[in-house]
Amino acid sequence: MKSGREYRESLRKLEPEVYYLGEKVDSVVDHPAFVPHVNAAALTYDMALAPEFEELLTATSHLTGEKINRFTHIHHSHDDLIKKVKMLRAIGQQTGSCFQRCVGHDGLNAVYSITFEIDRKKGTEYHKRFIQLLRKVQSEDLMISGAMTDPKGDRRLSPSQQSDPDMYVHVVERRGDGIVVSGAKMHITGAVNSHGHLVMPTAAMRQEDADYAVCFYVPVGAPGVVHIFGRQTNDTRKWQCFLDQGNVDYGMVGGEALIVFDNVFVPWEHVFMCGEYEFAYELVERFATAHRQNYGGCKTGLADALIGAAYALAQIQGTDRASHIRDKIVEMVHLAETLYCCSIACSCQGYALPAGSYMADPLLANVTKLNVTRHVYEIARLAHDIAGGILATAPSENDWKDTKVGKYVDKYMKGVPGISAEARIRLIRLLESMTCGTALVESMHGAGSPQAQRIMIERRANLEHKKRLAEKLAKIGEQPLFVC
Amino acid sequence: MRKCRVAFKFCGCCNPYVDLSRIARYLHTIAESCNDFEIVPLASGDAGVVVILCGCSRACADRAENRIGKLATVVVAGESVDGEMVPEPELPLAVGRKLVSVLCQLKGRCNPCS
Repeated sequence: MKSGREYRESLRKLEPEVYYLGEKVDSVVDHPAFVPHVNAAALTYDMALAPEFEELLTATSHLTGEKINRFTHIHHSHDDLIKKVKMLRAIGQQTGSCFQRCVGHDGLNAVYSITFEIDRKKGTEYHKRFIQLLRKVQSEDLMISGAMTDPKGDRRLSPSQQSDPDMYVHVVERRGDGIVVSGAKMHITGAVNSHGHLVMPTAAMRQEDADYAVCFYVPVGAPGVVHIFGRQTNDTRKWQCFLDQGNVDYGMVGGEALIVFDNVFVPWEHVFMCGEYEFAYELVERFATAHRQNYGGCKTGLADALIGAAYALAQIQGTDRASHIRDKIVEMVHLAETLYCCSIACSCQGYALPAGSYMADPLLANVTKLNVTRHVYEIARLAHDIAGGILATAPSENDWKDTKVGKYVDKYMKGVPGISAEARIRLIRLLESMTCGTALVESMHGAGSPQAQRIMIERRANLEHKKRLAEKLAKIGEQPLFVC
Repeated sequence: MRKCRVAFKFCGCCNPYVDLSRIARYLHTIAESCNDFEIVPLASGDAGVVVILCGCSRACADRAENRIGKLATVVVAGESVDGEMVPEPELPLAVGRKLVSVLCQLKGRCNPCS
């Protein structure tokens, strides 16, 4: 297993084409825009080597029997599913921000199971190829991005109906040695500081969309792969100041990028679906289920730190014993732990797939994520309530340090005796970075927008069974003693 | 020669995705009509074949203890029969076919009914 330092060194050997604020980036590891994201991902390596987190962050490879980082593991039991959630909470508590690596992990698990089933039905050899990649990922402890979301263009139209075919990643050429693909993937977490991208289709496909039913792996530095890094709220603070960043070490969100595939060649050994359109939906659902399962883990870990910030601020401001503040803190804890319950529940209700790997229960995983789209906003709203308007009006770090007005900032930012103005400003900035702007939107749309969860919930709701239960109680028609 | 003995093991039906009772009732119907096997309680310890009936993919009843000592099992886990996907309306028929097939195979190599 790699350490965080070795992870950073491994990134320096790569040459991804990355653009940010109109400029080409020379070194992802050293650019201040990316340092927090690299730090957060690096922690997934260092925590795996720390004895206190070893139980959650490591696993035994079913391929080699070797000890591996859990982010490269294929779940083979309910215990694996539960440990993933606990691992995400544990890391989230340390970073207070997205640590990115779960996306690729979920992609590995989804593709592992679906390639097995494609091969079984079609006689292809995708699973064998994928296992070769998985061995490399596990032995080299690689960080893989999970690239699923296409730009989609006109949402009313299917991939093959788009006026611009690049609105969905697709095969433009099949060759003896591989395929050539074009298109783009959007909002891809950890894209610029990963070793490679696992690209998956984004929606159900029909026969006419077969060229869009494509799944493959590319190294980040592959020719034709271009990364355009997204802006974040207050992102220039990363190099303009220190204290005002809030979460200095780990920043906010996961560092999302637009990945463009401009006629990228992919050798057959890295192609895991090519035209098997009937498996596209199942792959999407398995990835989405795995990723939505996560959110009651990582977001609860972040909420733990956020609740701590609100509580500490209340203490500094002398409001912590007020009954309404205590009630709001309790409500924040209740909301956060409800999310955790959901993630643990969908893991406990998970099941084995034909490949022998395990996935979480899709209905409960979607409920988990739909709750995240509400609870995290409510937790943030309560934190804003507790913090007060100073959250939006606090003077800057530069004014606090200024020789002329700094004394005023320091004087009027103080609360109860014995606690510095600096401590209050730091907590305010942490709370600001965790709840104001980009970070909050991530809870809404990360792992799919709320409507995507609603669609899957409806598909899995089994309303006919509920109707039979009601009809029996209402004495409608002939009903057996038990409806099961 | 005694009839083949088949038992059911239900998962507990906390929130079943499929109607397991319908499957069980259908298998009872087959047993009565074909006269080739009989349904016995699992607790009798007398069954050669057990049909494990789970309301969803979680397959809570598909545990080693329910397979030990059995010549064969048929596992229903939500909309699947022994891992093969089957739409809910077709489940009783599919399970019936699977059970008959299993019983025929067993009769071919041993005598589960004696």
